[in-house]
Formats: sequence, structure tokens, C-alpha cells
Amino acid sequence: MRRQQMIAVILAMTFLAAGSLWAAGGKEQATQPKAERVKLTMTFWGSPMEKKAIEDAVASYEKKMGNVDVETIHVPSSGTEFLVKLNAMIASGDAPDISYSSSWKNKMGQDGIIYNFYDLLAKDPIAKKDDWLQTCWWNWAPDKSAGPIQANVTPSLMYNADMFKEAGVEPPPTKVSQAWSWDKFVEVARKMTIDTKGRNALDPSFDPKNIKQFGVMFALNWYTYMPFVYSNGGDYLSADRKALGLAEPAATQAIQRIADLINVYHVHPSPVQKDSMPAPATALQSRKIAMYIDGSWNHLDLAQSGINWGVGVLPIDKNYSTFLFGGSLIIFKSTKHLAETWELYKWITNPDTTLGMFQSIWMPVQTAWYTKPELVEKWASEKLPARPKGFQDAVMRSAFEHQRRNPELDVINFPEIDPLVASALDQVWLGTKTAEQALTEAKKTVDPLVKGTYFND
Amino acid sequence: MKAQGTDQNMRKAKSSIQRSENWAGILFALPTILGFTIFALGPMVASLIMSFSNYSVSSSFKLLGLANYRKMFSGQDPYFYKSLGVTLYYVAFSVPASVVFSFVIALLMNQKIRFKALFRTIYYLPSIVPVVAMSAVWVWILNPDLGLANTILKSLGLPTSAWLFAEGSVIPTMVGIDLWTIGSTMVIFLAALQDIPAHMYEAVEIDGGGAFARLIHITIPLMTPAIFFNLIIGFINGFQAFTKAYVMTGGGPHNASLFFILYLYREGFVFSRLGSACAIAWVLFLIIGLLSAVFFKTSKKWVYYGGE
Repeated sequence: MRRQQMIAVILAMTFLAAGSLWAAGGKEQATQPKAERVKLTMTFWGSPMEKKAIEDAVASYEKKMGNVDVETIHVPSSGTEFLVKLNAMIASGDAPDISYSSSWKNKMGQDGIIYNFYDLLAKDPIAKKDDWLQTCWWNWAPDKSAGPIQANVTPSLMYNADMFKEAGVEPPPTKVSQAWSWDKFVEVARKMTIDTKGRNALDPSFDPKNIKQFGVMFALNWYTYMPFVYSNGGDYLSADRKALGLAEPAATQAIQRIADLINVYHVHPSPVQKDSMPAPATALQSRKIAMYIDGSWNHLDLAQSGINWGVGVLPIDKNYSTFLFGGSLIIFKSTKHLAETWELYKWITNPDTTLGMFQSIWMPVQTAWYTKPELVEKWASEKLPARPKGFQDAVMRSAFEHQRRNPELDVINFPEIDPLVASALDQVWLGTKTAEQALTEAKKTVDPLVKGTYFND
Repeated sequence: MKAQGTDQNMRKAKSSIQRSENWAGILFALPTILGFTIFALGPMVASLIMSFSNYSVSSSFKLLGLANYRKMFSGQDPYFYKSLGVTLYYVAFSVPASVVFSFVIALLMNQKIRFKALFRTIYYLPSIVPVVAMSAVWVWILNPDLGLANTILKSLGLPTSAWLFAEGSVIPTMVGIDLWTIGSTMVIFLAALQDIPAHMYEAVEIDGGGAFARLIHITIPLMTPAIFFNLIIGFINGFQAFTKAYVMTGGGPHNASLFFILYLYREGFVFSRLGSACAIAWVLFLIIGLLSAVFFKTSKKWVYYGGE
């Protein structure tokens, strides 16, 4: 009995000792002297090049401010991984001060955990609301905004110029007025698709099972098919904004054409082959792909790749439509240093202070930077390495003059609707269903989620 | 009378010993009890409450009653029935396949063969590879375009498969991968096999029974506790499958590998609806609980425990 009591006492004491050690540990941390300096946290995504560019921008900000340290937390993928990481940080009471953000931010705005950009702007009027391009706003209500797109990364057709030269094929035009028709585009893509025996896809003996080089590749996301849907007269939602517009013929037709590149013409990698493709710049550099349609952020990586590359307008010869595209920097209400965070916001989004980024990976979102020649020269001069010949026409002017508001800015519930659409489109790219079949089916699950648009223009 | 008094005294003494032993027992079990209360029971109660709320990372807490559950069962949530179907299909396919396969392997490993230890090690080895690493390797092996699997099939002139990339083949492919990691199940079967007394086999031999009779009349009946255990464990793990789909397919194509837990994860951490995710977790808990109860109930009919 004695021994049992002893053991019990020892056990209890061990507990107490462990507990007090724990408590002591906590106390020690709490009594550490408070740092004089201001510490900010910023979460962001992007390629290794973008990571470096952001870190450089932050370093120059720290230098300017003197007393601010910014901890940058980089998550490679902009997809769910990023949101999961951010959610975990918020849930544990450790939200960043400022962050990159995608369409899920509107919910955060509605829940009141991020600042309304218009309030911040009212306190420090760095510019008038109308100085920004009209189609670049992230608003969750008419007077509530998560800010303008921090930087535009418009859909862009990029190509390996040497491959075109060697094949003796005319590269994509840079002026909207000369843009290829879809048929012409398919023809060029077929010329640029080569099998392992060196035959192109126009050759009757072409072997689609052994392709060495593909004519074209799309990122196969909404931001690459929507320009084609728009120009074909389609829209993301129906005209009354109560149903999925992508299921209507004008949209399914445009999407089907892209799927046909894969399954009919074999000029585009299948989803399976796409899975083992490297990043766009590398795919162009290694000559796996001749033309790539993806966001313009790839221009930075392309400039660094050292290849002879070019940009063209999208193959849309009627009703050219494109949009500004990009996230916005959101500031969390939990920040203890709003002033410093706002300064960081201004620093990163001001093309003058982070010119290097606006000369390569980003494009501005303020009207003046598209219209005033001296400002255009600063970021879009075709002497810059990430601004190839024809850039001003093919990317800058085409986007500025033919912009619409993109669906992720506008469609309520977009973060829920898009995964359903994307999953339905899996079948279209795989060729197991037509766009019409897959999207008509998807409409059943999507329609209950359709709640109109944020903007009513 | 006197004798009865002593008896009572003894009983008293016994009960006081018992009481102090009880205390000591509880004290010794305290770490586990505390651990369970703080790290399992507490969160479980919390998640039950959350499952009736709109709890999310950013919004304020509000009780919604049964709304989360209603959303699931009414089919308003486009993923609930889909993921339930996918998971049931996977479990129904994977658990029997794994148990039968590992049983056969264990039988083989229990024969008097050369390099027995080496073979046992080889078959067990895949189980110690982390699931993420394993999945990443399989993704490459099964790449329909460049992967080893299709290259071999092609060179043999056999038809190839899209493996993880087609709706029809993604779950069977994952079941196939499961068969590669049956190490632990196999070890449990091996241990049980070695527990079977040799004289029982001798009895069959004396009665003139061959290898098949030995298997049917001795091995399998005596192995039923181990089979039952592996079935239950496999089945619980099957319902909780996540990593493979998360790493290899992300739930695709067209949600054909959207396991229940992956659906829960998306709901909670991608769509930030933690309340709804808790409700999903409770539905899964109830499904597993219910089916386990059914298993245990029916087990009385076919599981043989020696001495009963």
C-alpha cells in the first residue's frame, strides 16, 4: 500500500513539475523585452522569379522605412494551398498584416476581417478612384472594396520565335486588327506540331501518338477560355444572371474549339500529357510547345530564360475581348501597424517604386500608365528584356482597348462555382464528353449557387 | 457467528485494499484519461457544437441548428453524395482485396521456403515508405504517357490504361496501389498463423486431409480473429483515405476520387466552412460507428475465439 501511495505521489509530482516548467517557459517568453522595431508579415505566391522580385521590393521598402521588418511567407501555388495556409494562420490568431489574395477575399470582406480599401483611400487619397482602370476593382458591395487588382497579368499568347523561324511559319500577329481567325490559328498550330519522325500535323501520315513538339498549349483555366467565350458572344452567367451562361451555345462552342485542339487536331497536349509538362517558360524554351496561352506573369520567366520569344494577340478576329486579371493586396483588420502596412501597400503597388516588377512580371492598372507616353515608356518600352517587339500592341493596347470585367471579379460565389465548372471541363479536355454535354450537366449543380454579380454594368 | 465475523472483517480489509488499488489504477491511467479528455473528447464536443453552427475562420459564430446537415442530405451540397459514393466504392473494393491478398501472401511467407526472412522484409518494406513519397512515385510510374507501367504494357503488346487520369480507372488503380502496402496486415496474419498449434494440422493429416482441408478446416477458422481485426482496421482506414487522393489526383478527374475526408478538407480549409466540415466529420463518425457495430454484431457468428 505504501509503495502504491509513493508511486501515486511521484506521478502527481511529475505532472506538477511538467506543468510548472511549461508555465515557466511561457512566462519567460512573455517577459522578453518588446522590440522597438515594427514587424509586419506578408503572405504571397508566385514562381521563384516572382518570389525574388517581391523580396527585393520588400527589402527596398525596409531600407526606406528604417524601422520596419517584413517577414515574407511564400507559398509556391496560388491555388488552395495558399488559402489553406492563410486560413490556418487566421484561425490561430496569427493572420498576416498584408497578403496576396484571390477571389475568396470577397467573403473575408463580407465577414469584416479585411479593410475596405475605400476607407483607407479616404484617409490617404493617394489617387482618385477614377484613376484606376474601371475593370480592375475587387468589390464585395458597391461601396466596399478589397482594392484594385494590384497588378495586371492579362491573358497573353507567347511563342518561341526561333521555332517559327526554323519552320518558316509566320509568327502570331501583334495587332488586334490583324489577329488570326480561329481556323488560321488551328492551321498554324498544326504546322507547328511535329511527331517523332519529323512530320507535322498537316501531314496525312502524322502520328498523333508520338508527338515531339506541340503547336500550342493553353493553361486550360477560366482566364484562358473566357476571352474566346466573350468574343464568341458568350458569358459566364446567363443574360438574367440567374444561371450558368457557360452552358449556352455561344460559350460551349468556344470551349469545344479549344478541346478540339487536343482531341481532334492533336496540336495541344492532353490533360495527361499536360500534367508532365514543365512551366510555360521552360516548355517554350525546351521546344515542347511552340505557342503558350497563359497569364502575362510568364514574361518575367521568359525574359530570364534567354530564348528568342515573342508575344502576339489572341487568335480572335471578331469582337476581340480580353480582361485585366490579378489578385489584390488585402490588409487584415487584425494588423497592429496599419500605417506601416499601408505604406507597404503603396510601395508594392506603385509602379514608380517597384518599376522592376512592372517592367517584367506585372502590368499597371492605372489609366495614365496606358495613355501617357512618358509613363508607357517607363514600363512597356520594347527595349526592356521582358517586353519583346510588338509588346505594346499585342499585350498593352489589346488589353487596354478591349478590356471587360473578368468573371472572378464579378460573379458572386465564383470560388464555389469555378471548381464545379473546372471539374466538368476535365471531361471535355479528356474528350469523354462534349462541352455542351458536360456544361449542361454542370448547370444542374451550379445554378443553385448562382447569385448574380457584384457589379451591375 | 464468530466465523461469520472474521469473514466480514476479511471482506472489509479486502475492499479497502481494492479501493486503494482502484485509486492507484486510476492514477496510473490518468495520463491516458487526461490525454483523451483534453485532446480527443474536448475537441469532439467542440466539433459537435460547431457542426450546428456557421463557424468559419473569419465570420462570427452563429448557431444554425441542423442547417449544415440538411444541406448535405438534401443534395444541395454537390459533393456530399458523390464523395460518399466514391468512398463506399473504394472501401468495398479495397478492404476485401487487401485482406485476401495479404492473407495469401502471409500463407506463402509461412511456408518452409528459402530466404524467408528476406521475402518477408521485401513484402513489408513498402509499408515504411511515407504515403506522400509513395504516392509521388506512383504518379510517375502510372503516368499514362511516360510512365513505367504503360511502357511495359506497350512493349508486351498489351493495351494501356489512363490509370489515375480516367474516371473509370482511378479507384481501381488506387486499390492496386493499396495492395502494395499490405505489410502490416500481412505481419498480423503471420503472427496469427504461427499461433496455430501444429497438432491440429497433424489431426487433419491423420484423418487423411490434404493442404486444402488444412486451410479450410484449421487455418481459416483459427485465423478468424485476425481476419476480423484486419477487416475492421482496413475498413476504418478505408473510410478515412485522404493522402493518396490529395497527392495523386486532388480528387479528380471530375471528382471521381473525391474521398469523404478530402471533401471534408475542402469544405473546411478551401471553402472556409469549418462548421459544415465538422458536420461532415460527424456524419463520417456515425457511419463508421454504425458499420463497426454491425461488424461486431455479425462477428459472433463467424469469428472463433479459442476457449469460448
